[in-house]
Order: sequence, then C-alpha cells, then structure tokens
Amino acid sequence: MVVRYCRARLGRVSGQYHIADDVAQEVCIAVLSALPRYRDMGRPFASFVFGIASHKVADALRSSVRSAVPTQDLPDGPDEGPGPEETVVRYIEAQHARDLLARLPDTQRELLILRVVSGLSAEETGNVLGMSPGAVRVAQHRALARLRQLAELESIA
Amino acid sequence: MTTKRRRTARHLGSYGDADVEGEVLRTDALLDALARREPVGGADAAIRLLGALVADVDSQRLSSVSITPST
Repeated sequence: MVVRYCRARLGRVSGQYHIADDVAQEVCIAVLSALPRYRDMGRPFASFVFGIASHKVADALRSSVRSAVPTQDLPDGPDEGPGPEETVVRYIEAQHARDLLARLPDTQRELLILRVVSGLSAEETGNVLGMSPGAVRVAQHRALARLRQLAELESIA
Repeated sequence: MTTKRRRTARHLGSYGDADVEGEVLRTDALLDALARREPVGGADAAIRLLGALVADVDSQRLSSVSITPST
C-alpha cells in the first residue's frame, strides 16, 4: 500500500519508479524508527504510517532532485507485457491523471489516492484521514466530480 | 422591512436527496471496483484516468522494491 501510494504521488523518472520506491523504503525505515515512540491514541496504525508517507513524499517533491537512474539490464527473453504503443498511451494517461490530481485540494487528492491506488475501503480511508465513512463517500463523490470537471475543461481547451 | 429567504440546497440544484445519495453510492461502487483492480467500463473521463494511474502504478512489479540501502 505504501509503495502504491508513493508511486501514485511521485510518478516515474526516466520511465522507472526508482525514486518513488526509494521513498517508500524510507517510509518503512522511518516507521520502524518511530515505532518505539508510537503511542496508541485510538487511531488506526495505518493513519500513523500514511502520515509519515505523506511527509516523506512532500520532502521528495520539495527536493526534486532528479539524479541519474541506473538502467536495468536488458531482459533476455520474451516480454509478455503490453507493447510499446500501449505502454506509452498508458504512461501519458497516468501522467495526465497525476497532473489533474495535483490540482485538487490536498484532502481530495489524498482521499482518491488512498481509496483507489492504495486500495483502502471507505472505512479504512476514513480512519487514515480522520473522517467518518459517510463523509469519505460524500467527499470522494465531490473529488471525482471535480476531477471529471478538470478533465473536461482540458479536453475543451 | 425586508426579509431574506435562506436558499437551501434543494433550491440550488435539480437533484432530490435520493438522487444525490444514489450518485454517491454509485461513485463508491465505481471506486471500490477500481480499488479491487476490476475492469470498469464507461465513458467517464475521471474513472478512465484513475484506471490508467492504477494500471501504471501496478505495471512494475511491487516486489522489485529493494530492502537493502542503495549505495
């Protein structure tokens, strides 16, 4: 869930998720480091983890250090994945989704990423964000409507 | 003396409460399907973009994340 969250927020660099995966690793290390100081305040542990993840992602976005990314060895065998054209189309659409999500208010963006990309239920998302499941459902409806509106405005322009 | 009439949500839109609740639940079902990585059809641009983002995030093996510090 943490890896998916970081990948959705940070995207690819040079076609790879190295930066996002490194940040996810930093989140896990930070969670482990903070565990001795963790106190159960009645909120789910996931909210503690995603709180750290949110800060780590913000740090990464601020620094925006795009260092050289080592290229993986060429695969020696048939590639069962999608072809180049499909890969490029998917990449462009995913980047478009990130750009539009970045224009949503913070809470709406976090909500959609946790709900859809990290795969949390409305109840779990509510626990992380400190909202009731009903409030999550209403807020996600508004967030999706706003995202739809932004996408339509861009298609017109 | 003039009095202002307070505009309620019902006056602002054409949806009744049941319609709004239905839309909210339909959105919840769509997002649930995306979260479960089930195919979601339709012409909704927002759903299509979220689906593309999910596919892109899942396209590289999650297990490729290294647990050893980079050098």
